[in-house]
Amino acid sequence: MSKRTATYASGDSGVSEGVIDPVSLGKPSRASAAQPGEPLLVVEDLRVQFTRGGRKINAVNGLSYELTPGSMMAIIGESGSGKSVSSRALMGLLPPTAKITGSVRFEGRELIGMPERDMRALRGGDIAMVFQDPARSLNPTMKIGAQITEAVKLHSDLDKKGAHARAVELLKLVRLPAAERRFHEYPHQLSGGMRQRVMIAIALAGEPRLLIADEATTALDVTTQAQIMELLVELQQRLGMAVIMISHDLGLAASYAQDVVVMYAGRAVEHAPTGTLFANVRMPYTHALLGAIPALDREPHSLFEVTPGQPPDLSALPKGCPFRPRCPNATDKCLDDPPLTEHEPEHWWACWHPVGSGLGNDPGPRAGTGPLDPAVAADDPGLADGPDEAAGPGRHHTPNGEQR
Amino acid sequence: MTATATTPRVPADSRGPRASRVGRVTGSPVLRLVVKRLLMAIPIMLGVTVLTFWVLSLIPGNAAQQLLGPEATPEDIALLEQQLGLDKPGVVRYLEWLQGAVTGDLGQSIVSRQPVSEILSQRLPVTGEIVLLAFVVSLVLAIPVALLAAHKPDGVMDRISMVVSTLGLSVANYVLALLLVLVFAVTLGWLPAIGFVPLEDGLWPNLRSMILPSAAIGLPLFCFYTRFLRGDLVDQMQQEEYVTTARAKGVGSWSVLIKHAFRNSSFGLITIVGLNLGALIGGTVIIEQIFALPGIGQMLLQAINTRDFVVVQAAVVIFALVAVLANLIVDLLYAVLDPRIRYGSS
Ligand SMILES: Nc1ncnc2c1ncn2[C@@H]1O[C@H](COP(=O)(O)OP(=O)(O)OP(=O)(O)O)[C@@H](O)[C@H]1O
Ligand code: SF4
Ligand SMILES: [Mg+2]
Repeated sequence: MSKRTATYASGDSGVSEGVIDPVSLGKPSRASAAQPGEPLLVVEDLRVQFTRGGRKINAVNGLSYELTPGSMMAIIGESGSGKSVSSRALMGLLPPTAKITGSVRFEGRELIGMPERDMRALRGGDIAMVFQDPARSLNPTMKIGAQITEAVKLHSDLDKKGAHARAVELLKLVRLPAAERRFHEYPHQLSGGMRQRVMIAIALAGEPRLLIADEATTALDVTTQAQIMELLVELQQRLGMAVIMISHDLGLAASYAQDVVVMYAGRAVEHAPTGTLFANVRMPYTHALLGAIPALDREPHSLFEVTPGQPPDLSALPKGCPFRPRCPNATDKCLDDPPLTEHEPEHWWACWHPVGSGLGNDPGPRAGTGPLDPAVAADDPGLADGPDEAAGPGRHHTPNGEQR
Repeated sequence: MTATATTPRVPADSRGPRASRVGRVTGSPVLRLVVKRLLMAIPIMLGVTVLTFWVLSLIPGNAAQQLLGPEATPEDIALLEQQLGLDKPGVVRYLEWLQGAVTGDLGQSIVSRQPVSEILSQRLPVTGEIVLLAFVVSLVLAIPVALLAAHKPDGVMDRISMVVSTLGLSVANYVLALLLVLVFAVTLGWLPAIGFVPLEDGLWPNLRSMILPSAAIGLPLFCFYTRFLRGDLVDQMQQEEYVTTARAKGVGSWSVLIKHAFRNSSFGLITIVGLNLGALIGGTVIIEQIFALPGIGQMLLQAINTRDFVVVQAAVVIFALVAVLANLIVDLLYAVLDPRIRYGSS
């Protein structure tokens, strides 16, 4: 590594070429403010409402989930289910027209209603985000080096030289070939995969403890997609940061995430460790999602559009369970809102008549069927163990936040 | 947010042709651009001068008649026509003029016998000063106002700037000129109503004589630039994903606006300013008339009235040249400022 490293890497010049020691990545590793075993992020009854042309669009409707520090969690759901809006809401990135209520606690600090000043320090600092389209996410008129350095300077006390060195180091960390040269290039000179690496480098500049990747690989070809996912997993493990990967792609979620949250109509309808979820799907919507995907000839990036029926109109949600109009199991009971409840250890769902309960037109449990055979899923080291935090049974988030 | 963000808005596209023109082929791409543009100017110049000549020949009367007045006898007129060379066929006269023009000799005024180059050296600085003042002042004011307005769309600043710019754009510049004269010259008496004071008579007297004409041209420009830039900035801020990236990095709202959005909006602004320049020069004709300023515009009007085709041609050549140069400068600025073009990739 260049001499420059020594100027800021706390005197640790023993770092060898190539793999970068995470410790040298900057400030001494910060102890989490939260208690051990505490979730890093607790989203509770998050609601986001837009008003557009006099219509109220309920993009997020009582979303609740928890995220274990250092873990990788996938949020999946149909287009329009509120994945992007909810994650932007917790970073304070929504336009002022968005009405946000509910609670998001990050390491115990409430983010909703946090003053912009504090929020700004958090953004790109403790929480960072990578977006879907790397072609549009970088400023076309700025050199990539300047774009990374800007982030570095915002979240450290490094001077110009130090920030430069740090930025190059970040580019090496995300395995950008010829980092020193690329530093002086513009986004249009890079390929899609390289741009997304730059985006990740920018996101890592503040040493985040939470990285939100909003369909970060959707715009990339399959090979590059796999490379970027591998990189994210590696960084997650090496830097001990938590990752929320937002995806359309159940297969991608199954291969890389430890936990999966399934969103429907702006709320979480099922949430479990990946292995548990795919072995034992309970929420009819998740079931339909899996059934909608033919195992082999599925397009890698296809949307779940084959689920029968339409996603609900967010400005006129049905009474009770939002999936009711499309649900084969629906009964009158479903006119009541089903709470998201931890029915089995670590397995939460929001449904009165889950798959396998023998009610309604229950198609029966689909364990072991479909593209995501648990035997296959278990082969993936990422799936082998769920979060070590054991959840007490019977916990639940109700859609309107009251305890039941 | 994502709903609108997915609408593709590809600013590079609109500059696509430029990008390919400025390839990094042989030598300096900038030099190639300059040469290319100047070569392109040749047919443009030929076209406008031929057209001007033809249109002038359609207007009844010629310089000889104008010089001698309505009382002149046909014999006198014929004699003077002969002396002035107006008896030759139009094609010959044009070619004679062209022959001189390509060697840099724009000839002499048929009416005053003064060499055109001398006339231009007196008149160009006047028009140039008005235009320059109008441009600089309108841009210097428009940029901060647009930034303030775009920082909080629909905020107080935005609303005020919207009202002012709508008003400014809906008033024709000669009406504005008369209003300005009425208020600042007639009623308040702060500034001269008409006339030009050359720079040699002192900077302040010169500026005083230029303030109203420049304002009459610059105010609508200011309104136009403000509207354009504000709109483009708001588009960038609301629709461009790189803005979200910047905000997600923790960049403050003003920095996002100035360092990121404005940087991108400035390309559009440069284009607008460049395109404006050609039209603007034409707009000075009426303003110079109102304020009795001895500029190119006034010269053109007088020359048309006296059918002094040599001087008319000179004015037309100047106007066309300015338009060509303005375009060239815009392209050069792009080449220098926009990395996507500088590196010759799309
Ligand atoms: N600024 C906004 N104003 C009004 N409605 C919005 C706005 N941003 C998002 N929405 C709406 O909120 C809903 C949820 O959008 P969101 O982008 O979160 O969906 P998503 O799950 O990320 O979908 P995708 O998979 O297509 O990215 C959509 O119906 C969208 O139209
Ligand atoms: S069974 Fe009822 S509660 Fe469960 S998903 Fe269907 S409609 Fe909703
Ligand atoms: Mg999205």
